[in-house]
Amino acid sequence: MDTTQLLKGVLDLAVLAVLREEDGYGYDILRRLRDAGLTEVGDASVYGTLRRLFAAGLLTTYVVPSESGPHRKYYSLNAAGRDQIARSGKRWRSFASTMDTLLDDRGRAA
Amino acid sequence: MTVTEQEIADYVARVRGALTDLPPAVRDELTEDLPEHLAVVAAESDGTLVERLGEPEAYAVELRIAAGFGAGRRSATGELTAFVDRFRARLNTLDRQLGPPLGYPTVRAFLHLLAPGWWVLRGYLAAMLLAAVLSTGLNGGIGLLPRFGGHLSLGLMILTGLVIASVMLGRRHRGSRIWSGRLLVLGNLVLVCFGLAALVYLEDRRGAGDYYAPISVDSRYDHISDVFVYDTEGQLVDYARLFDQNGDPIRLGYPDCDDMRDVISRDEIDSANPLLRGYPYCPEAAPFGPRPTADASPPALPAPPGTVQPDSAVPPTVPESAATTPEAPSPATETAPTTPEIPPTSAPAPGVAPTG
Repeated sequence: MDTTQLLKGVLDLAVLAVLREEDGYGYDILRRLRDAGLTEVGDASVYGTLRRLFAAGLLTTYVVPSESGPHRKYYSLNAAGRDQIARSGKRWRSFASTMDTLLDDRGRAA
Repeated sequence: MTVTEQEIADYVARVRGALTDLPPAVRDELTEDLPEHLAVVAAESDGTLVERLGEPEAYAVELRIAAGFGAGRRSATGELTAFVDRFRARLNTLDRQLGPPLGYPTVRAFLHLLAPGWWVLRGYLAAMLLAAVLSTGLNGGIGLLPRFGGHLSLGLMILTGLVIASVMLGRRHRGSRIWSGRLLVLGNLVLVCFGLAALVYLEDRRGAGDYYAPISVDSRYDHISDVFVYDTEGQLVDYARLFDQNGDPIRLGYPDCDDMRDVISRDEIDSANPLLRGYPYCPEAAPFGPRPTADASPPALPAPPGTVQPDSAVPPTVPESAATTPEAPSPATETAPTTPEIPPTSAPAPGVAPTG
């Protein structure tokens, strides 16, 4: 299965998870996602997701002056964001374990 | 470093260009850190930006989908939709601006009131179209009422039925946007086109009836442009009128001489309608003999001078006297002014005796 198809469903959760560790700006978040193993995540997808999560009220932003180049817009989780990742994380774990069980059963049956 | 500032700027411009349908604020927000991102990408890897990130338009689609702004409008139909949307927005603005001068909040509100009238007209047009389609070749023409095989009563019944049906249809479909509504719009367009074509046809036929039929009737005399009447003396009769056995005036020709303007201004009574002047319309064009309105011709002088009073040096009523003696006054009045100026001395005016 194409990983990008899977990513579409969980990119929100992945971005929230990355931000739970530490605040970050766009390219920084992208790099951390890739370092974590989501190598196929698209640049534009991350930027777009950040905008959408911010518009949904799950993130706050602040601008940090950069030594080299323009100011950077940092994103951080707020209370709603933390609440969201708790619920979404629980749902993901349930879903993932269901899938694991399904795959294991079928794998044994086959 | 293979990526230049210019390449980054171009890439940003193309991404922004693919997002033009979004509100400017949203577009700015979506692309605000794109230049910096591109600079970092360019710094850490070789190859062009397109090799690294794909086409800017594809990047824009990914961006907008992830940001939750729908799937872009890069297709031709998308462009058309955007154009229609802009057109509709402009129309709405006009609608609100032009309404108040008409006395309504919007033009649409005004047109809404006219809708029942259109329904009736639509029924009429449908009946006319039906009649035109069915009776093609029978009489080959369109009148003002529908005829089916020449039967007007049947046409009127169908007309009534279609008008009622059209009104019912209009009441039922008001404001609906389902597919049958679109079909209705198409039918309306067909009927409007048919109505306009029929109007043009009728207008053409009306013109033919007015201007061409009489000429074919009077074809025996259509080469006559003027009539000249001569009395037994061979003098041209001015202001002659011709009548037939019923007392109806005989109209031949038309005043079209070059100095018609002069003729009209001289005969003020008749200037309203040159056709009422009597013949000839153009005395200067007389084919024979002396011309009556030319400068005082001696032969015309001796005969009727006694009828003119010398006091009327500048007679304003030439046509009145012309009623009794058609051509004499004009030469007489031209000589008359000289005689009163001459004092009553022994020197007689030659050839004139206006002493009475």
